[in-house]
Amino acid sequence: MKDEEIDDVLRQAGRTLPDPTPATLQSVADSIKTSLRPVRPLPPQWALTAGLLLICAAVSLAGAARAGFFGFEKMDILERLLVFSALVIFAWLAGAEFTHEMIPGSRRRLSPGALLGLASAALFAVFAFLFRDYQTHHFISVGIVCLVTGFIHAVPASLLAWLLLRRGFAVNSVAAGLVAGTLGGLAGVGVLELHCPNFEAAHVLVWHTAVVPLSAGAGALVAWAQRFRAGSSVRERANPE
Amino acid sequence: MGRQACSEAKNDLREHTGTGNDCKKVFEPMCPESNLEILMARYQQGDYAAVSDLIGRVSPQLHRFFLVQSASRADADDLLQETWLRIHKVRHTYRPGEAALPWFYAIARYVRVDHYRKSVRTAAGERELEAMSKGAVAVAGKFDHVESLDALLAPLPESQREVIEMLKVAGMSLEEVARATSSSVGSVKQKAHRAYAKLRETMTTRGKAEDYREG
Repeated sequence: MKDEEIDDVLRQAGRTLPDPTPATLQSVADSIKTSLRPVRPLPPQWALTAGLLLICAAVSLAGAARAGFFGFEKMDILERLLVFSALVIFAWLAGAEFTHEMIPGSRRRLSPGALLGLASAALFAVFAFLFRDYQTHHFISVGIVCLVTGFIHAVPASLLAWLLLRRGFAVNSVAAGLVAGTLGGLAGVGVLELHCPNFEAAHVLVWHTAVVPLSAGAGALVAWAQRFRAGSSVRERANPE
Repeated sequence: MGRQACSEAKNDLREHTGTGNDCKKVFEPMCPESNLEILMARYQQGDYAAVSDLIGRVSPQLHRFFLVQSASRADADDLLQETWLRIHKVRHTYRPGEAALPWFYAIARYVRVDHYRKSVRTAAGERELEAMSKGAVAVAGKFDHVESLDALLAPLPESQREVIEMLKVAGMSLEEVARATSSSVGSVKQKAHRAYAKLRETMTTRGKAEDYREG
C-alpha cells in the first residue's frame, strides 16, 4: 500500500468525524463574550531573552560584589574570555529556550534536556581546558561550600526569570522549570567564577559545573510538585471525603 | 484563497498589528491560514465578531483532534469548551504575525494532557479511563466494518496519533506540527514515518483478511 493511498483513506475517514454542534459553539462564544476586552501581547522574544540575560548578569555581579571578585582577579585574559563567553552564550540560549517554553506553539531549537546536557558538557570542557592544577585540598568540604553558594544564587535568578515571564503560559511546566533552573544555575556558576579563587581542576570541574544540573533538577522538581499539588486539589474537590 | 485575497489579508494584518513588512516572511508560506492570524490579532483587540469567526473556524479542527484522542463526543465537547476558556485566558501570549494554528493546537494539547492527568488522579477518573480503554478496544473491534478515523488510528500510540491527525486531517505542515507538539521537525517526521509503517501493516493485514473472507 502506497503512502498516497493511506493519505486518501485518512482524509476520507477524517470527514466522517462529527463537527461540534452549533449550540456548543454558541455556548463557547457566550462564555467568552462576558470577559472580552483588549489585551497587550507579550513583548518581542529578543526583549524577553535580553531581560533574562540581564537578570543572570545582575544576580552574578551582585553575588560576587557581596563576596568579592577574587576569582575574576586571579584569572588571566584567556580564562576570563573563555569562561564568561561560554556563560553568556549558554545563558542566552537558556533564556531563548525559556521564552519558547512560556509561549505556546513556539519554534523549538533545543529540548530542555539537550540544553542542560550541552551547557553542562560545554562548561566542563572549558574548565578542563583551562584549569590544569590537578592537586586537591579539602575536596569535599570546600566543594560543598561552592555548590551551596552557587545554588543559593541560582534560586533568586530562577525566581526573577519566572517573574519576568509570568504573563507567559507554560504548556509543559516541568520543562519550563527545568530551563528556568538551568538559567539560574548558569547565574550561580557566574557568581562562582567571579568569586572563587580555587582553580584546582577537580574542584572547578565537579563542584562548579554541578550547580547547573542541581539547579535545573530543583527547578523541574518544584514545577512537578506544583503540578502535582494542583492535581491533588482537583482530586480533593472531586472526592471531598 | 486567491492571490488578491491573500494580499488583502496581509494588508489587513499589517493594519491590525502594525507588523509592517516583517509579517511577510512569516506569512508567505501559510497564506491559506492567514485569516486566522488576522482574526487572532483582532481578538486581542477585543473584537467579538473576530472571536465568533475564530470559534466557527477553529473549533471543528480542535473537536476532531479531541475525538481522535478521546473517542467520546461528550468528552470532546467538554475539552473543546475548556480549550476555548484557556485560549481566552492566555490570548495575550499569541504573537501577531506568527502562525496561529500551532498556538491553538499547543493549548488544546495541554488541555487534553491536563484532563487525562486529572482523570487518572481521581477515582472516578480511573473508572472513566477503564471505560474509555474498553471503548477503544471496542472501536478497534469495529475496525473491519467502520471506516472511522479513530478506528483507523486505534493501533497507533497517542503521540503518533496526534501527529497524523494534525498532518493529514488538519492539514498542518511539519513545522507547524513541530511547534504545536513542542518538538523538532525531525521528531515529527520520525513519528509520521513510524505511524505510516504501522498503518500500512494494519491495512494490508486487513485487506488480506477481507480477500480471504470474500474468496
